[in-house]
Amino acid sequence: MNRRDFHRLGTIVLGGLIKLAVAVPAAAFLLNPLRKPGTAAEADVFEGLVALSQLKVGVPESFGIVRDQVDAWVKYPKEPAGAVWLVRQPEGAEPAVIAYSAECPHLGCAINLADDAKHFICPCHTSAFDLEGKPQNFVPPRPMDRLDVELSKDADPMVRVRFQRFRTLAEEKIPLA
Amino acid sequence: MRKLLADWFEDRTGLSGPLRSMREEPLPAGPRWRYVCGSALLAILLIQAFTGLMMMTAYSASSSTAWGSVFYIEKQMWMGWFIRGMHHFGAQAVMVLLFIHLLQVLFAAAYRAPREVNWWLGLVLLVLIVGFGHTGYQLPWDQKGYWATKVVTNIMGGAPVLGPYVKTVVVGGSEYGNQTVTRFYGLHVGILPVLLAIVLGGHLALRYRHGLKPPADAADVPPDAPRATYFPDQTFRNSLVVTAIVGVLIGLVLWEGGAPLDAPADPASPDYPARPEWFFRFLFQMLKSFPGRLEWVGSIAIPGALMTTMALLPLLDKVMPSKLLHFLACTLAFALAGGALFLTIASFREDAGNPSFQEARTKADAANERALYLAAHPDFGIPPQGAGFLLRFDPLTRGGDLLEKKCLGCHRVDGKGTGDQSAPDLKDFGSYAWIRGLLEKPDAEAYFGKAPECDGMTEWKKSTKLDAEQLDQVAEFVATFAKIPADQSVDEWLNTPGVADHPGNALFQKDCGKCHLIDGYTEGGVRDAPDLFAWGSPRWMKRMIRKPSEAGLYGYLEAKQRMPAAPPDDMPESDVDMIVRYIKGDYLKPAAKP
Repeated sequence: MNRRDFHRLGTIVLGGLIKLAVAVPAAAFLLNPLRKPGTAAEADVFEGLVALSQLKVGVPESFGIVRDQVDAWVKYPKEPAGAVWLVRQPEGAEPAVIAYSAECPHLGCAINLADDAKHFICPCHTSAFDLEGKPQNFVPPRPMDRLDVELSKDADPMVRVRFQRFRTLAEEKIPLA
Repeated sequence: MRKLLADWFEDRTGLSGPLRSMREEPLPAGPRWRYVCGSALLAILLIQAFTGLMMMTAYSASSSTAWGSVFYIEKQMWMGWFIRGMHHFGAQAVMVLLFIHLLQVLFAAAYRAPREVNWWLGLVLLVLIVGFGHTGYQLPWDQKGYWATKVVTNIMGGAPVLGPYVKTVVVGGSEYGNQTVTRFYGLHVGILPVLLAIVLGGHLALRYRHGLKPPADAADVPPDAPRATYFPDQTFRNSLVVTAIVGVLIGLVLWEGGAPLDAPADPASPDYPARPEWFFRFLFQMLKSFPGRLEWVGSIAIPGALMTTMALLPLLDKVMPSKLLHFLACTLAFALAGGALFLTIASFREDAGNPSFQEARTKADAANERALYLAAHPDFGIPPQGAGFLLRFDPLTRGGDLLEKKCLGCHRVDGKGTGDQSAPDLKDFGSYAWIRGLLEKPDAEAYFGKAPECDGMTEWKKSTKLDAEQLDQVAEFVATFAKIPADQSVDEWLNTPGVADHPGNALFQKDCGKCHLIDGYTEGGVRDAPDLFAWGSPRWMKRMIRKPSEAGLYGYLEAKQRMPAAPPDDMPESDVDMIVRYIKGDYLKPAAKP
């Protein structure tokens, strides 16, 4: 290798090193959102929404989920985070209450109750579901997302729901971090 | 295929010709270390642009979000500390390289024909880069940035005639806030980069037009020396130097663990020891020599005259003997560099020998550490109101400040106060230790020794027959009062398990109840004394702060002997809460370091 070849190679190698020294950290910086923030503990929290006696059998009712939210660097205490639909089942049925996320599995709009109160519709792309959450047309990729429900031990138990979000457009229910 | 594409590209753009001529620029005197400075400067500027672009994807420009987003970049994001650290130290490297580049050009007399325009463009670049430095380091909107903004904009405002108007435009009004941050951000990432790109483009174009100034010994190169071209002979040296600089930068970033971030901006912190970056220290020090209305001489006239002189060099070259001018210019440069060095050292020495500066710096560092701790704490975090509220919602900081300002003129905390003591020491107020100390020696300075009108306890102490063990029991019992919830009545409290059968209960009722009336529990009446129900609890302390003249508190004292009440206009509920929580120690504490 002559002097000029050495210089040529050296320029390329050193230039590459310098570029890597900033490009690699920059890639990590930009991809930061892929790193899951520590919301796993939060996802296990059941929130009391309503006393069981307040729900009428077979009549869906929506409830807002209010929780502390951390949006990047800001902590918002008690902010609305989403909504759920609760449907009380007939006496003796298990579970006593079914909870659906109000987020449409299609593209995430808020699912509403139709005027006849016999099925759910999404106002964005006409996803429709029956009261059991089953799709009634071909728009939604999967049934409405059911959420874990538990009843407290009180005489008139509180309906407690574990609020979670799931990936939209997927045919399976895949929880988001 | 590759050739096809290359041919197509060449046909449509014709770029490869000029690019090749740049690469193959002949170096008659061979590659030189002295040619690396401009290239290194360009390389570091590119790193600045790139790391700056990265941070633009995470930074949020407003006085309420800036600090939080920088905190997020620095402490939470992947490699955020590295990107920000490179930008921070890169800025300092730019200043150093700029200075060396300027001196080099001056010493080489490269301002002479035909390079006059490039010399002027270089001076414009100098101003632009100083502008980058100034607009950049206030963007975190931390204490350092906030006070720097104030100083720099007030320097602008001090300029004759137009100054005040320029200042108002730059600040975005007369108050420093959201618009100030957005304007400096706009300058830093929009206006200045565009100007820099234009001027730097011209600077580089002219550099290729005139070529590198050959060194004085260029003629001595033997004619049979190997032919050298810019690439790869000079680029190799450039790469080596840039690698070394980047290596130093990375070293500094690793050493510092990123870039500094001070506590969030607080306009109400008169003792903040504001200092500029080291490369502006000489200007800072110089300003001390120009008092009051003469300030503009130091901040505008002298730098302005200096820049004008440098700008005039190529023209003076035509009317003065070249060598004499060059000698004078170099002498002036040495004298100024020496002066700047002297002022910089003087400034640092002055601070090092100034105890009140050290003290203020220690306090600022403590506030900084506290702010970073709270921001990172899962139970606290940065409030939606903005980072400025971080410390204002912290009982340790805000409560401590309020207590010092409003209460320690009369009270003490652990023996420390700001005025003549005329009231008890509040350290551990409401705790077992406090009440036990009082029962032992009520006329101690920490209790009622400095408040002679409250001599009831002293008299009780003379006549009481309680022994030490019984005093312990009473103190234990009274210390439980502080835990009585805010909504509990006396009846509910007495029915709480553990109250009626507390060993101190009967003793308290018999010995203390003669003076201290608690409705439905003790009789009182022998002497005037405060109602001790829930004594030491937040509810009791808040009543005491708001209305010490209540009948159940110290209403029996003459007005001038009572503690002054704090009306809500003067002290909002949140402030009272902060003071009480401070006294109770009800705030987040870092885990004790082993």
